[in-house]
Amino acid sequence: MPPNLPATLLVLVPLLPLLAGLVTIVFGRRLGPRVHMPAVIGIGAATGAALLLLVAAGGTGGGTHEAPRPAETTVTLWQWATIDRAIDPQPGSPAALPGIAVGSTDSGTRPLSLAVTLRLDPLTATMLLVITSIGLLVAIYSIGYMHDDPDQPRFFALVSMFVFSMAMLVASSSFLLVYVFWEAVGACSYLLIGFWFRRPEAARAAKKAFLVNRVGDFGLAIAVFLLWLTYGTLDFHDVRATDGTILPGILGQTRLADAGGFVGGTVGTLICLCLLLAASGKSAQVPLHVWLPDAMEGPTPASALIHAATMVTAGVYLVARCAPLFVVSPGALAVVSLVGATTALVAALIGTVQTDLKRVLAYSTISQLGYMFASLGTGTLAGFTAAIFHLVTHACFKALLFLGAGSVMHAMGGVIDMRRFGGLRAVMPITAATFFVGSLALAGVPPFAGFFSKDEILAALHARGWPDAHGGVHHDHEPAAGAPAAVRTARLVPSTAAPVVPAAWRSTAPAATPQAVGPLDWLAGAGLYRGLFWMSLITAGLTAFYTFRAVFMTFTGPLRLPPEAAHAHGGHGPDDAHGTHGHGQRGHESHGHASAPNAHGHTAAAVDAAASHESPPVMTRPLVILAGASLVIGWLLFATHGLGGFLAATPSLTAPAVVATRVPPAFHLDLAIQGTLAAAIGIALAAIGHLGRRSDAPSLERFLGPLQTLFARRFFFDEIEHAVVVRPLESLAWFAALVDRVVIDGLVDAVARVPAALGDIVRRGQAGVLQRYSLAGVAGVLAVLLALAWQLWQ
Amino acid sequence: MNGFSPATHLILAILGPLVGAAVAWGMAPRGIHAVRQSALVTALVTLGIVGLLVLRGLADPVLTGGGAFAVSSVPWLTDGPFAVRLSLGLDGLSLWMFGLSALLTLTAVLVSWKAIQDKPAAFYMLLLVLEAAMLGVFAARDVILFYVCFEFTLVPLFFLIGIWGHDDRRRAAVKFFLYTLAGSVLSFVGLVTIVIWNASHSGVLTFDIAELTAGVRAHPLPMDAAGGWLQWLVFLALLAGFAVKVPIVPFHTWLPLAHVEAPTGGSVDLAGVLLKLGIYGFLRFSLPMLPEASAVAAPWLFALGAVGIVYGALVALVQTDLKRLVAYSSVSHMGYIVMGLFALEPAAVEGASLQLVNHGLSAAGLFALVGMLYERFHTRSIASLGGVAARAPWLTVMFVLFTFSSIGLPGLNGFTGEFLILCGAFQRAWTGVSPAWQATYLTLAAAAVGGLVLGAWYMLWAVERVFFGAPRRPPQDGDGHPAEHAVAVAAGPHHHDPVAHGPAHHGPAPAADLEWHEWAALAPLALFALWIGLQPGAFLGPSAAAVRGATAQAAAAFTAGMQPPTTAPHTVTANLTGGRQR
Repeated sequence: MPPNLPATLLVLVPLLPLLAGLVTIVFGRRLGPRVHMPAVIGIGAATGAALLLLVAAGGTGGGTHEAPRPAETTVTLWQWATIDRAIDPQPGSPAALPGIAVGSTDSGTRPLSLAVTLRLDPLTATMLLVITSIGLLVAIYSIGYMHDDPDQPRFFALVSMFVFSMAMLVASSSFLLVYVFWEAVGACSYLLIGFWFRRPEAARAAKKAFLVNRVGDFGLAIAVFLLWLTYGTLDFHDVRATDGTILPGILGQTRLADAGGFVGGTVGTLICLCLLLAASGKSAQVPLHVWLPDAMEGPTPASALIHAATMVTAGVYLVARCAPLFVVSPGALAVVSLVGATTALVAALIGTVQTDLKRVLAYSTISQLGYMFASLGTGTLAGFTAAIFHLVTHACFKALLFLGAGSVMHAMGGVIDMRRFGGLRAVMPITAATFFVGSLALAGVPPFAGFFSKDEILAALHARGWPDAHGGVHHDHEPAAGAPAAVRTARLVPSTAAPVVPAAWRSTAPAATPQAVGPLDWLAGAGLYRGLFWMSLITAGLTAFYTFRAVFMTFTGPLRLPPEAAHAHGGHGPDDAHGTHGHGQRGHESHGHASAPNAHGHTAAAVDAAASHESPPVMTRPLVILAGASLVIGWLLFATHGLGGFLAATPSLTAPAVVATRVPPAFHLDLAIQGTLAAAIGIALAAIGHLGRRSDAPSLERFLGPLQTLFARRFFFDEIEHAVVVRPLESLAWFAALVDRVVIDGLVDAVARVPAALGDIVRRGQAGVLQRYSLAGVAGVLAVLLALAWQLWQ
Repeated sequence: MNGFSPATHLILAILGPLVGAAVAWGMAPRGIHAVRQSALVTALVTLGIVGLLVLRGLADPVLTGGGAFAVSSVPWLTDGPFAVRLSLGLDGLSLWMFGLSALLTLTAVLVSWKAIQDKPAAFYMLLLVLEAAMLGVFAARDVILFYVCFEFTLVPLFFLIGIWGHDDRRRAAVKFFLYTLAGSVLSFVGLVTIVIWNASHSGVLTFDIAELTAGVRAHPLPMDAAGGWLQWLVFLALLAGFAVKVPIVPFHTWLPLAHVEAPTGGSVDLAGVLLKLGIYGFLRFSLPMLPEASAVAAPWLFALGAVGIVYGALVALVQTDLKRLVAYSSVSHMGYIVMGLFALEPAAVEGASLQLVNHGLSAAGLFALVGMLYERFHTRSIASLGGVAARAPWLTVMFVLFTFSSIGLPGLNGFTGEFLILCGAFQRAWTGVSPAWQATYLTLAAAAVGGLVLGAWYMLWAVERVFFGAPRRPPQDGDGHPAEHAVAVAAGPHHHDPVAHGPAHHGPAPAADLEWHEWAALAPLALFALWIGLQPGAFLGPSAAAVRGATAQAAAAFTAGMQPPTTAPHTVTANLTGGRQR
């Protein structure tokens, strides 16, 4: 590969979707029936580029036993802004790594140098491939799904812009750019959730998504400012100044090689918690998860792409990218795990009673993202790579499930309430089969994709809960090639001295430079991780239950179709134009049973059975591809340990404190059995409750009693947040408006009446309010001026 | 050579609108079309002249180095030692605002195209006179000339609001005029005091701003009891005028009233340029001439800025009138600028100076769009509007764009300034204040970040209610009287004055979506919003040196006041602009 090729490809991956989006915006309706072409071609080409990048990003890493070398390439596109002499780092602070950054020619001041720089490393390459390939399949699927929508240009433009923004987010090499595209993907998400803006629910859901995400962005903004103040830069990578000095980036190799390069303690914990807040917003973690279920108001392909496969994983990406920052703050890591495992469990419980197929999947997404966070919070190399592994497999099978749900919705005329249809496998065999494959993957049944990644997550949690069972860290005796001596000592922490939590997990620093203890570090005990492990195992069972509950309700039992299904041609919102394209539309109309109530059950269904049909090939083919991927990708990546070894060369994961936690890859048979058992129990329960039954029949939920209400009302999160945050703020706003009108403006008016009153006394009857005021004013000024002049002149 | 020197160029730019005003006035007998065409030509020609001048300024290393450009000075009122000169020139502080004034006048002319049917000649004449005053105030290098222009901006706007405004326009115009006049009269006292102080020490009675700045630096106004706290008093006097003008909470209540009642063209100029005069005053006078007093006041103004951000956003949250909502959003956004200025950190003050332009663009765009909505639906009530997106998609696209700009979405201009301001504010809070202040500063800075959430809340709420959902009322084609009447009754007493009619419903009904003149009004604003968002460096660079220079003294005084003097003055570091990555 020519030396410049990776850089060029790296620029092309976001650039092509951007161009596609711009072409779609500019030419819009003039493209006619080919309106999807720019998006499909642009994202398709970007997928190709991302595939090539995967090869380029590998670097010299590879083997599972040799220590990886960090592999990164950066490309600076343009200088966004430079504020000269913006900061004066205090001596000894990480911002002024002595001897590296502060040259003798200056007094130590640093510019705030904000450049648009892209980076390529294994983590970025992995994310780029996920984004572009899922984006491509979703774009192709949308050709069929959005076929009848009059606003197709807007849809394809937004999808292209989203792929661009998301690619930039993961390819950015500075926290500023991450913030920029963090918000940009949020804006795309806002516009896509509100795509059918005539529906008030869609408009409200879009606003809610943006605002809840803004709360997360609040955290990211503060984290960015604190990082800037702590490290004196916002770049990930090292920057070589014109005079040859190196400004170490926050995640640059200079700092990574320095064992004391990262700040722990209170500040470090604070930064990490702010980053976690940001990640929680984007990745829908408790308590900021409330926007994601509502986001299902958007078109289903957008849900699949943004709210299942890619954008919601940005939080996972961010934490993984910032691994070196987190590992020096064990307390923050513990919070990450705690939030993740809690989210996983809570969302799974809510998912068990949902009746809207897309919402089941939405809660499932929240729950699976929780798994990833739980894994990240272990702070081990295995945990970080397992999270990304699960991210990749989840992207495949969750996109598959969402697109499958969209296919159902497409055929059902926009109905997605599982109680209103059933037995669909008879009319939609491809959708049913692929959905089944996706469900097996989600439930973690071997050998489907989810099984392997979930197993690695459970193993990572288990390793923190029972470190002795996994041999602590002493498997790793190989120092990283080329790492400085200080790092070697850091990594040779004797595991015998740390029976429960290895010293390397408590702190990054070698004994020579003790790190400050963070305020939450007491959390990070093995006991916590044991609890989280059990929570995750229970969640695995619940996952299998709600997934198969949905499968059985939708695809098995007697065939039942809602009346809307007869008009099912892409009509999803009340405002959507009814289809004009083929597929026997005329035949449907002749049935003339639009008013048939749902209770007609079998008779209506029998009539509809002939009318309903599988989705067109342009929609089912992406399903088949994703099903194939869901079948093999887990096994493939696990068996070769390709992903783990590949990711280990990511600079962030070569921080000494991360490398110190390396353990040889192993298959944990005991954990696999436990996980599979949990899944089997969940599937069995779902089968007892729903297999072969009418989907609107009373089911297992009736045994839950008051818990059913709790789950169905989503643990009252919306209500509580409304009462605790929204209401008080609104009251405060009313109060402020009242103060504004009565007190502040009232005072102003009162003061304004004083000269008027005086004027009335002095010159009664003089017409013209303005003249009077002005005269009084001018006279007053003159008096003051004369007095001042007199005083000064003396 | 002197035929077209930058100085001549500058004078032409200011005289152009005055000539155009006379022409517009003279066109009165020839009908509205001739009047507004002449106004459009004037605005375009002036913008061309100003644009070329700005380009010449950017090419001039003196300007980018912090000096003044296109300087001219002719005696004006000279009598003995008393020498007021007509001194003009541009520097990094004024360059962008000078250009923005010309751009927004074009916007104001275009948004008034159909809205103003009543006495158009007088309207456009006043608009162009206002332009000349705005250009003059930014070009003035003389205290008296500055003050004359500063006050003279009030007069055209007073009439614009009072004659072409909405139902409560009289009260709004008087309140606006008196409130800001009362403040700025005190500012004048302060400015004259500086002049006299300087004269009493240097022996030369000068009104030249540059000479005054140098003079008071050589002989600072006393900041102790022995000197009668003169510097402090003068600072407060200047503050009175500038704080009302910005407006800094709690001196803001004239603003929502004035905006709501003003015709769209007036709102555009008011929000876009006139509010910035207060900040410009701080940058031009308070900070460089009264650094010690500025440093003492900085924490309080920093706090007032942060309070204003949150307060303005909260009040905006419960507004029912879309224009009032945008007006309160201006209060909130001006809070960021005040905060950034008085953070006295390099990133923050440069961000604040950029944010002057950014807010000018986005607020002007939003006010223009609210006016366009009013022309179509004859109401600004958020509850009565709904589903506009279905009827006017491009209007919606533009509104969403300016909303994104306003709420600081990266990639657009609003983000650039606010990011730098907050960056600097955190820096000040983290490392630049004494421990006693640190918790307060951090809280305030965090509250300002919280303002980003609130800002998104009220703007997106308004977008949701006005543009999305099902259309809430039929389009008011032709005669909009019923709706207009209902709104008028709801809004307050209906005046039965011969001129007391809303101007909008007398014009021809506009098309459902944007018309050519509306496109022409919004497109330049949108382009600049995007440009600044993508490449703020190009806009920060030329003004950086001047802004730094204006605030350096105050920042040093602040640092000295906060901790024992330890840090040496900064030296130049390596420029990383061309830095290469590995």
